[in-house]
Amino acid sequence: MSDGPILIVDDDAFVRTLLREMLAGQGHPLCEAENGQQALDLEGPAPKVVLLDLFMPQMSGMEALALFRDRWPTTPILVISSMDSDRLVQEALDAGASGYITKPFHPVEIASAVERVLAA
Amino acid sequence: MPEYWIGDAEGRVLGPVSLDVVQDLVNSGRVTEITRVSRDGRNWGIPASFPEVMTLLLNAPSPEALLQSERQEATRVREQLRAMQGRPPHEIFRLDRNASVDAYRNAFFKLVKRFYPDRVRAQAHPDLRKAYADAFQFLSRLMVHIERELSSGGPVSPLPTVRAVPSPPADDEPLTPVPTPPPQTARPLKVVPRSLTPPPRPSPLTPPSRPSPLVPPAPSHEGSYSYQPHEFVGFERHDDRVEVTIKVTARNSRMFTDHPLANLKTDGFFLACARSLPLGTLVDVIFRFEEDRREVRSRGRVILENTGGDPTRPTGFGVRFITLVEKDRRFMQQYVDKSVVH
Repeated sequence: MSDGPILIVDDDAFVRTLLREMLAGQGHPLCEAENGQQALDLEGPAPKVVLLDLFMPQMSGMEALALFRDRWPTTPILVISSMDSDRLVQEALDAGASGYITKPFHPVEIASAVERVLAA
Repeated sequence: MPEYWIGDAEGRVLGPVSLDVVQDLVNSGRVTEITRVSRDGRNWGIPASFPEVMTLLLNAPSPEALLQSERQEATRVREQLRAMQGRPPHEIFRLDRNASVDAYRNAFFKLVKRFYPDRVRAQAHPDLRKAYADAFQFLSRLMVHIERELSSGGPVSPLPTVRAVPSPPADDEPLTPVPTPPPQTARPLKVVPRSLTPPPRPSPLTPPSRPSPLVPPAPSHEGSYSYQPHEFVGFERHDDRVEVTIKVTARNSRMFTDHPLANLKTDGFFLACARSLPLGTLVDVIFRFEEDRREVRSRGRVILENTGGDPTRPTGFGVRFITLVEKDRRFMQQYVDKSVVH
């Protein structure tokens, strides 16, 4: 498992704050980006988990997902989206997402999903 | 598989996704305003340049058809709810009979999310809103019941039926009038005097609650748990949320401890008061700890409400925090601990 942070990628500052608060107690370092490109510009070790929104400006979450997969091949990527179409979930999983969490989400759900992918 | 990118008026982009996904999102009302489309993520055009996308947009359900489909969905949700009632909780949550409370909580959060008020669009048919709210309330009550049963060491029994789920309206029955969208201007809320709240009536179907070592007995409406009108600082409605200001004293600090689902340990609180707020309401909360001259601000969402339907609990509403700064949480916990000691 990477020593890097949990990376939160969402254009909504409120959601980023929310996720940060939810994960603060788990003891993992956290960092965040407003979009996929900003995430790719980050320096340092590979993130240990990425939490990724799908509907974002500049670079869509699906595009970011493909680029993240290339750059950090072993990092689990959890998609977090309010778009709960079954076919979209399937397409995100096919594109390499490790999991798909629909908004609204609960702290327990986020924390346990992160722990699950870290333990896998 | 053909790939599409779609963009909205806010500059957000989704893609590459199949046309099927675009269709799902358009038909469900999740995407209502596609302003640009691309086949490669670089070259963009207006939707009219893509006949297959235009077809989807033009064939998107009319508001009337959407309402009709929501009404049918409401019927399905009610049927699901009726099927759940009376069944052993472990079957509802698809768990082993001896599942732990954590397993129940995880399963609860997954299932209850399907009926979360936020999943219903703002202009949805009121029958669907009601069906979701009923399912949400049922599952929340069930989870409270499970926590009680497990904390007292017993096996988890089915939730006693307090009131039956109403039958769906007949197909030829006129549709419930669709409410107009909420006004965008701020309007003040009235604080309802407690005397106007109907007292809870004991239900003949509700069994006497068993004492539990962890869950305090159901408090009386007039007991120290209740939040009295004079303690209110106020409700203020904004466009998309309600601002609630609460004066916290040692006497009413039980709002952070007494409700098994909405308490500080579960990231929330339950305000026992005559004024309730609908499920899903976004709430900006300001706690004024006057003895300590400290103010704590947080944002949360109403996750449960009791307007008298559950006579074992006071009327009021429960909020789960969305944002609460860790140092504020620690302060509140210390305040609660101190209040209990005194």
